[in-house]
Amino acid sequence: MTQYVSDALFVHTTDTADLLDRLQNHVSQAAITPVMIDALMADPQKMLTGVDHVVVCGTLETIRAVAKLAARTGFSVGVVPTKTQKELIRFYDLPSNIDAAVDLALRADPMAFDLLLCNGHVALYKVIVGDLPLLDAPVDVGKLGLLETAFRRIYNTRLIKYRFATAGERQIITAASGCMVIHHRRKGKLAALIIKDDDTTAAGSTYAVIAAPTSIVKYLGFLLWRLSTARRIERLPEAIGYLESSVFEIEPEKELDVFIDGEKLTRTPVRCEVKASALRVNLPRTFLKEKASAKPAKERIEIDHLPRGKELLKALKNKRIPFFSYASEERYRELFKVLREDAEINSIYIMLMVLSTMLAAAGLYLNSSSVIIGAMLLAPLMAPIVSFAMGLTRGDVGMIKKSMLKIVIGMAIALLASAFITQLFPDKPVTGEMQARLNPSLLDLAVAIISGIAGAYSKSFKEIIQSLAGVAIAVALVPPLAVAGTGIGRGDFQFFFQAFLLFSTNLVGIIIAAALTFRVLGYSPAIYRKRGLVLVFLLLALIAVPLYTSYERIVDERILEKRWTKERFLVNGKYVIVDNADLRWQGGKKVLIMEVILRDLMTREDMKAFKKKLHIYFPGKMVFRIKTVYIP
Amino acid sequence: MKHLPSCLLMIVTATLVSCGYEQKPAITPSGKTIKVGIIAALSGSDMAKGEEGLKGIKTVIKMQPLLDNGDRIELIVRDGQDDPVKAVKHLQELVETEHVAAVMTFSSSGPVLAMAGIADTLKTPILAARATHPDITKNNGYVSQILFDTIFQGQVAALFVKDELFVDKVAVFKTPSSFYSSSLAAEFEGKFASLGGRITDVIALPDEPTNVGEMLKGVRQNDPELLYLPVAAKGVITIIQEIDRMGWQPYLMGSDGLLATVMSEHKEQLELLEGLLATDFFHHTSRFTSFGLRVRKIYGGKLTSYTVLSAEGFAILLDAMNRCDGAADRECINRQIRSTSNFEGFLGYISIDSDGKANRPLVINAIKDGELKYIVKVY
Repeated sequence: MTQYVSDALFVHTTDTADLLDRLQNHVSQAAITPVMIDALMADPQKMLTGVDHVVVCGTLETIRAVAKLAARTGFSVGVVPTKTQKELIRFYDLPSNIDAAVDLALRADPMAFDLLLCNGHVALYKVIVGDLPLLDAPVDVGKLGLLETAFRRIYNTRLIKYRFATAGERQIITAASGCMVIHHRRKGKLAALIIKDDDTTAAGSTYAVIAAPTSIVKYLGFLLWRLSTARRIERLPEAIGYLESSVFEIEPEKELDVFIDGEKLTRTPVRCEVKASALRVNLPRTFLKEKASAKPAKERIEIDHLPRGKELLKALKNKRIPFFSYASEERYRELFKVLREDAEINSIYIMLMVLSTMLAAAGLYLNSSSVIIGAMLLAPLMAPIVSFAMGLTRGDVGMIKKSMLKIVIGMAIALLASAFITQLFPDKPVTGEMQARLNPSLLDLAVAIISGIAGAYSKSFKEIIQSLAGVAIAVALVPPLAVAGTGIGRGDFQFFFQAFLLFSTNLVGIIIAAALTFRVLGYSPAIYRKRGLVLVFLLLALIAVPLYTSYERIVDERILEKRWTKERFLVNGKYVIVDNADLRWQGGKKVLIMEVILRDLMTREDMKAFKKKLHIYFPGKMVFRIKTVYIP
Repeated sequence: MKHLPSCLLMIVTATLVSCGYEQKPAITPSGKTIKVGIIAALSGSDMAKGEEGLKGIKTVIKMQPLLDNGDRIELIVRDGQDDPVKAVKHLQELVETEHVAAVMTFSSSGPVLAMAGIADTLKTPILAARATHPDITKNNGYVSQILFDTIFQGQVAALFVKDELFVDKVAVFKTPSSFYSSSLAAEFEGKFASLGGRITDVIALPDEPTNVGEMLKGVRQNDPELLYLPVAAKGVITIIQEIDRMGWQPYLMGSDGLLATVMSEHKEQLELLEGLLATDFFHHTSRFTSFGLRVRKIYGGKLTSYTVLSAEGFAILLDAMNRCDGAADRECINRQIRSTSNFEGFLGYISIDSDGKANRPLVINAIKDGELKYIVKVY
């Protein structure tokens, strides 16, 4: 059965004096003594003598004043919110219905509740310092509204230096756009979703969520997280730091306003302190459990996503938030260690290079795609290329030099090995697999770019590292090198050039894509060097010109091949149907290999007449090779 | 130094531009005029063909108003009404009175055959743009064809039907009064039979066909898979209307000029004619040569087969005249026409043999979804 207080002091403002009737007519029949807040504050000692319970209804300032007196005097408090105090209602789960709120306010079972004081001001639910893009947005805001706010605010946000200190005397120096101190994890603010393990009204702790969007990419990631979930999260989003302590000192490098419960009440530096179980408040059972802890609350500090060291310098240097993220080497120590090892030349690499090239050359001469795929998987070229890309991204000259040397040595081995194998073949046939690697185009560059992205991505995350094999197959570095080596062995420069162009396409494509992917993933150095990027785009421009020409040629050739399948010839009364046409380049000449269908046998005379016709209608354009299939 | 990149860019651009255009020296007018006679049907039932042909000729003159030696071309146009007697009369008048250097005719095979009879006497080159009868170049040294002849066309039609449509039985319709129709039907029949195909019927279709329904009932009894129709567009439409009424759906194939006539004069019948195949010399969705693109640009509107044919023919004639020292030298022009080699027409190269016959590809088109669709090209 619900217990109610027998008497209570009703603290109100002029606007809320009407509530007295409801309180007096409440089923509890409690004796209600009304008092204006001004009268109370004028002589609190006199007014509060013998008062065990206060019902307050008025402005936030009124409620804060009563809370402060309650902490000092020890009376319990029931709050009746006004209709406009929606944030207060939401935060404390207070009934929005006035009768239900009155009923709750007059109950005789208050919960112990922590009091949060910031620079001496009572904070009912939140304290905001600086700019908090998205974090201070209400949870139930629409997605479109959120997007609009996000894009508008990101342009005005910049990071400044902050010092945070906790009760445990832990000092944190970082760059942030702002910080929010939240009394308890309750509905209302997005930042509240981040707070962990807060299920009591008297935990003795409060929580600070620090916003440090170091790049627009990170901010967009955060936005995506925000749009995809409204539930509490287990892992902190990028660009967010989290502190849990009974005391916070927040000191930005310049003085800022401090907003307590949305009202500008003080300025930084600000000290927020929790007075554990300092209040007894009537709260609904749907609110947190009452569990006053005798032990001092444990501190929790999660600042991995906040800029530190060189990153901090970079963050402070930027006038606006940069598009891509950056990272100091300490942040990804393990990955950089692996990439440095990948850039080192060792005997295993040389042996694998020789073996994969020999395998590729054998596969090319056998015209066996499965053997060639085996060579692709064996080839160790991908690792130094990814290291080279990371070197470019971070402007790490040491890594660039080492990985470049490793790539060049690998290329030299492949060219020499395949040239040597070619010498072993007396007739040096040109197989279909070789032909397929003699016409690089922009499409090959597209394949290389996609593979480069995949390579950099899979290298960045241990759990998908096995995908590198697929990347190696897709981009196939060793087979074109083996074909280029075959060109050297044949003494055919055009052959060498075409295949080497394909290899260069793959190489440049992977480097560019991997370098950009690393950048997007946030591996740029805190102190950035632009030379690496310039080199990447120079390489891209150099390779794009021959590839574009080649691409246009390939498109023309495919159109021509398609058109030829609609060509027919009447040769000495015999009807020749072109069923299939395949255009190839051999010895610098266009060779059209046609498969023709006809009913009658082609005699030498017919062939002569056919050839004459081809020369009349397609003079000097190409060499024709004809395969005939007869209609029975 | 500051302007070095801009200067380099300008130099590169200028070089590229100068490489991209082959400058042709400007032609200075000589003040001389060379007359060329044109005989075309500008009235009567073939009027549309004649008018479209004349548009093609005028387009070429716009492209090339002067010969290389500066002489201006003057067209002397006569309406032959596609009548052999009138054609011969106009030819004589053009040669003897107007003293034309050459004659281009846009008449069908009948009038051209009649002109061929006096060609050697007049000793004037005659270029036949539309006529396809094989005999127009026979027994004379002055008539040349721009189109393939009916032998080529008939044989190709038979081979396409047999080897690509896999049809074994065909009924042939022909108009006995038309040289063109008769010779094309005969060529088709001969070739198709030699390939092992069976001609189920050969139907003589009068100029004004009557009782076509009864005629087709008889044809249907022999179960042909295809009807070969080298007849005028009106006859083809009458036959197809009857077939439609009968609920019969054999393959249908016409000959050159049929689809062009349908597209220009019988567009309202396109739905009925869906699936109709025809041999032709042009298709507007094919890849044009640079010559074709230039004509299309100057012409402006949608090109028809007859415009294309006359433009090609007249360009061949001008090319031959340019290769002669005296642009009015009839013997030289005739010789040069008959040694035309690899002339870039609309869709490819055209050559004319010393006997006046043209080597040019034939196109097989079809009506599909109310549009002309190109099926194959035969060389």
